[in-house]
Amino acid sequence: MEPPLVAIAAPAPLEDPTARPPPRPALLWALAAAGCAAGASSLLFALTNEGIGTELGEPLVIALLADWITLSYVFCGLVAWWRRPASRFGPLLLVAGAANYVTTFSWTTNDVAFTIGQSFDLLPPVLFLHVFLAFPTGRLESTFERGLVALAYGVAIGLQLFRMSFGGFGPHNLLEVAPNQALTDAATHVQLLVVSAACLGGIGVLATRRRRAGRPLRRSLALVVDAFALGLVMIAFLFVSLVVGGPAVPQIRWATFVTLGLAPVAFLVALLHSRLARSSVGDLFVELRSDPAPGELRSAIARVLRDPSATLAYWLPEFGLYADLDARPVELPEGGRQATTLIDRDGGRVAALLHDRSLLDEPELLAAVTAAAAIAIENARLHVEVRARLEELRGSRARIVEAGQKERQRLERDLHDGAQQRLVALSLELRLLEERLADDPEARRRLDLARREVGASLEELRELAHGLHPAVVSGHGLAVALESLAARAPVPVRLTVVTEGRLPEALEIAAYYLVAETLANVGKYAHASAVSVDVTRAGGAVVIEVADDGVGGADTERGTGLRGLADRVETLGGRLRIWSPAGGGTRVRAEIPCVP
Amino acid sequence: MRAVIAEDSVLLRQGIERVLESAGVDVVGSTDTAEELLLQVREHTPDVVIVDIRLPPTHSDEGLRAAVQIRSEAPSVGVLVVSQYLELGLALKLLADSAAGVGYLLKDRIADVDEFVSAVRRVATGGSAIDPTIVSTLLSRRRTDDPLRELTPREREVLELMAEGRSNQGIADQLVITLRSAEKYVSSVFGKLGLPHTGTESRRVLAVLLYLRS
Repeated sequence: MEPPLVAIAAPAPLEDPTARPPPRPALLWALAAAGCAAGASSLLFALTNEGIGTELGEPLVIALLADWITLSYVFCGLVAWWRRPASRFGPLLLVAGAANYVTTFSWTTNDVAFTIGQSFDLLPPVLFLHVFLAFPTGRLESTFERGLVALAYGVAIGLQLFRMSFGGFGPHNLLEVAPNQALTDAATHVQLLVVSAACLGGIGVLATRRRRAGRPLRRSLALVVDAFALGLVMIAFLFVSLVVGGPAVPQIRWATFVTLGLAPVAFLVALLHSRLARSSVGDLFVELRSDPAPGELRSAIARVLRDPSATLAYWLPEFGLYADLDARPVELPEGGRQATTLIDRDGGRVAALLHDRSLLDEPELLAAVTAAAAIAIENARLHVEVRARLEELRGSRARIVEAGQKERQRLERDLHDGAQQRLVALSLELRLLEERLADDPEARRRLDLARREVGASLEELRELAHGLHPAVVSGHGLAVALESLAARAPVPVRLTVVTEGRLPEALEIAAYYLVAETLANVGKYAHASAVSVDVTRAGGAVVIEVADDGVGGADTERGTGLRGLADRVETLGGRLRIWSPAGGGTRVRAEIPCVP
Repeated sequence: MRAVIAEDSVLLRQGIERVLESAGVDVVGSTDTAEELLLQVREHTPDVVIVDIRLPPTHSDEGLRAAVQIRSEAPSVGVLVVSQYLELGLALKLLADSAAGVGYLLKDRIADVDEFVSAVRRVATGGSAIDPTIVSTLLSRRRTDDPLRELTPREREVLELMAEGRSNQGIADQLVITLRSAEKYVSSVFGKLGLPHTGTESRRVLAVLLYLRS
């Protein structure tokens, strides 16, 4: 599907799985013909030779079932290879089909062919296990899986050769050295039990994968495949019943064969699932036409991709990083279950789509979806960019306020430890000097005058220092500091401070200024007879509320005082609200987040 | 009388030492840290310590904490806290449940040598010395229904002096009146404010301060 309107560069997956070119049609046709020929020849072996043991049932039924499996693997493999050249899965199915065909050689009377066919006899169930675990990439992901499959192959072929060397396979067995019935039986049991165990182990691997995936990755697809775990159970059941000498019901074998032959079809359907998914790309267009909120964009894309884990990381060139909707930086995953597809528009990076790795096998789907959503993604990116700038601005405002506060605190400290101490010492010195000049009244008078001057300077310095920074707040806490404010307030104050211990210094200072400024305003404008100051904790915030019973109608735009207070509160991530109905008093309330 | 001084300004510490020694007070220890102060108090058990609220290392409340600790560990030791600024909240914290042997003065007062020495003596002997600034802050507090308005100017002066921790004799000396009339004023203040008569002067201080704060 070509996107209308939007010019978009093809999405560029970080790792390019499409590097492998698709097979040439001639090759595919040749392989298809070879498959048909193989099927026909198997049928011929079954009907013209006496090779098929009668314990398996009617030779024709057996031959048809064997062909069913071979052709199913071959044709599904061809389609998979053609449609998904990136995946090794198609070639794997072809190899499985070929190996399955080779087992039918055991129906011939040619010694060489019989020996080869017989040694492949137990291979089909192991191939099934391999294909099952390798879906959908065609690779075995973990060491355990590789070990499990290798063990099964080793036992299926190795022990088969061992058995054949001790006879029991008729006159065409070239490997027979010394017949030994007991050894052959023992080897058979081991062989069947190990392959059964490997099949059950495969189910364990599947269960672990599903659990580890957390939320079901591409659920519908996974279910189709999971259903064929039944095939593994059937194999295990069949083999174990052979070992313990259970009833050999031919119909059960036939059912197993049918299941094994159906499996490639199911795998193919799941592999080509994107064909179905793509039909819903149209829905994405419809959904995006209504200009969705940036948050809905992600879920719409996840729906179309059938990948609940899909997320978008927006590229912020100014900051040189990817960010989520809340402008928090996002690291693109490397390895793991998630893969990344970069989305460019008009030559510039817009975003990265983080999605399940299996989607890399469906580049057309990714291309269609990212093209359809390009404009919406660009809009969302702008939204994130604005948000990131806002966050940055907020951060820098907080830093400016904090730097100012620190500087004032330093100045106050310098005054306290320097000039103020020296003046007190000087005042004392003058007083002591005065005593020594008992007989010179004029000198005493002038010294006394000087001492008063020093006292006045101290008074001024004290006010200056307090104006710079209320040291009592940082030294002794908000509750202590508010006592003096309440006592000096121009109207009676009911003060309630309910906080456990000290609060963060910046919060205490903001609260102190808030109460000081508000009480000053009450004195200037409210004509109130009483005011209450409450500092409490509410959830994850400290609430500071100053309420008077005055005339209300406060002009919230008045002066810079309130604006400055709002700045302080907002800098700490809090909120300042003012209610001041005419005649209904004024209530100033700040909520500042604070982890208890 | 024996005293220990904790003050981090060298000039001021030496000044206080000289003032006290010339007034006949034996300065048995002087230091610039709260930690050292606590050690010296344990060692000398002085009659009084003079401690700056802001001491190293953080210059926030080390001195005050040391003062509170001395009050609880060695109640017999008078504690006179001095500071560059006065805070009502700190006064209340320091007094907590008793004004006996507690003082809280602005550093400026040290230069009023006689007043300062008298405050040191009061605190050392279990009395109180509350800075007039604290008292006036409390008195300036607005009240909806204010019995303080009932007081005559003279009674108001007596109330302030009581709150500072002065004895009846001290009040009489300060106002240049007889002890008897001082006692009469005290009694009428208590009556008008509805305060019960309490025994010691330090209890009287706390009662008055708490009354003024409420």
